[in-house]
Amino acid sequence: MLSVQGLVAGYGRVKVLHGISLEVSEGQLVTLIGSNGAGKTTTLRALSGMIRPEAGRITLAGADITGLPSFQICRRGLAHSPEGRRVFANLPVADNLLLGAFTRLTGARPKGDVLRDRERMYELFPRLAERRAQYAGTLSGGEQQMLAMARALMLNPQVLLLDEPSMGLAPKLVEEVFSIIARLKREKVTMLLVEQFAAAALDVADFGYVMENGRLSVSGPAASLKTDPAVRAAYLGAAH
Amino acid sequence: MEILGQLIVSGIAVGMIYGVIAFGYQLTFATSKTLNFGQGEALMLGSLVGWSLVAVTGYLLMLPIVLAFGLLQGAIVERLGVRQAIKTKSEAGWIMATIALGIIFRNLAENIWGRDALKFPSPLPEAPLSFAGINVLPMELAIVVGAIAMMVAVEVFNRRSIYGRAVVATAGDRDAAGLVGVNTSLVITFSYALSSLAAAFAGVLIAPVTLTGATMGGVLGLKGFAVAIIGGLSSGFGVVVGGLILGITENLTGFYLSTGYKDVPGLLLLLLVLSLKPSGLFGKAAIKKV
Repeated sequence: MLSVQGLVAGYGRVKVLHGISLEVSEGQLVTLIGSNGAGKTTTLRALSGMIRPEAGRITLAGADITGLPSFQICRRGLAHSPEGRRVFANLPVADNLLLGAFTRLTGARPKGDVLRDRERMYELFPRLAERRAQYAGTLSGGEQQMLAMARALMLNPQVLLLDEPSMGLAPKLVEEVFSIIARLKREKVTMLLVEQFAAAALDVADFGYVMENGRLSVSGPAASLKTDPAVRAAYLGAAH
Repeated sequence: MEILGQLIVSGIAVGMIYGVIAFGYQLTFATSKTLNFGQGEALMLGSLVGWSLVAVTGYLLMLPIVLAFGLLQGAIVERLGVRQAIKTKSEAGWIMATIALGIIFRNLAENIWGRDALKFPSPLPEAPLSFAGINVLPMELAIVVGAIAMMVAVEVFNRRSIYGRAVVATAGDRDAAGLVGVNTSLVITFSYALSSLAAAFAGVLIAPVTLTGATMGGVLGLKGFAVAIIGGLSSGFGVVVGGLILGITENLTGFYLSTGYKDVPGLLLLLLVLSLKPSGLFGKAAIKKV
């Protein structure tokens, strides 16, 4: 579904990614783990067009999307729940969700039943239902995180990129977020998940890549990465 | 007392015009953090195009044509003067470019319509109505109604339509708007177009009360800018209050002090607001939570 070959990207003269290749097959949940500053967020930003790749090739459902601006990549069905949540603070929760379906409402993607999907998001994230009329800027960090995920899901995406959905959340909320991710996986949503909670990410994922200094070092089925001694030592805490 | 009332009432109409110009500044500032310093020239062009049309089409049919002209003119300003500066994240490029385009538009207008003031035929009776001894021109009422109607229309568009929400989203977080599929550079072009539409509309509203001419834009653009700062560049209807404050104090100063000092209180107020409350009298601090 999403295929990346030799991706090189960065900010200005600073190269962050030095040739990344990865695959996300349809219906699969793939996770990208690694320490802070390894380039996980940059990878997602390059995939969704927030930054322009310098080299490499990205295809989405067979179509080349390399170098397209983010709005065009979105129109081809890639949703990105970005680092820092980036909800529209100056709009109510309900409007944030509608905007997630902007391309459906304006004819760039199949419309379906947008309002019913929004109700579904309220079921999936009951806290958003309680706060639907509130401005997104007044939500707590955890609620904003849920809103960012829900907004991305409103696209009915072909691929969903999730950047650190557990970031800054209380442990109980982290659990809740991961159970939602597991549920989306059962519903065959194709996902690329970036996480610092490597153990939790590998528990729920089908396949994993480990990132170090802008390169992918190890990859394999999530279950086998969990037992890989090197991965365990570096990312899972050897005591586990 | 009657004179005071009269001065206040006549200040309201011109204050609404300042408010509409300031509203135009707000529109582009919201989406792109840039301003069209040729906003006064957009008003002047709209007014003169309207002047040429009105004899042929009549006032009502002239309006939609002038509004469409305003849209086009604003889009041109954005494409020629602003887009490249935004792309290269230039701090001052757009300032110079919009000022330069304003001067070009003024020269163009001087060559087409001459440098003299022109009388704009009023669509409404020119005899004033009298309320409790205070005279009001029907056109002054039309200015107030028209200005409010236009701002309400934009607000309804922003709140109710998906395209309007896309504009608000772009104002809130441009990158995130791109991620949900909004073509944000098109939104910025659109906000420039809408901003010039507002100015052109103000131009054909005010022209029957004052006069029109190629040089009318400079002062109005500057005063609209002062009002945008006084009311707050991000405060919605703050510009209406700011416009009224400026329009009325100008009239009062002109009468009680001297017309020579007419422009002083507004500029003093501008300096005062800038030093005491830089976000404007009604500007709100951004809601942000980490």
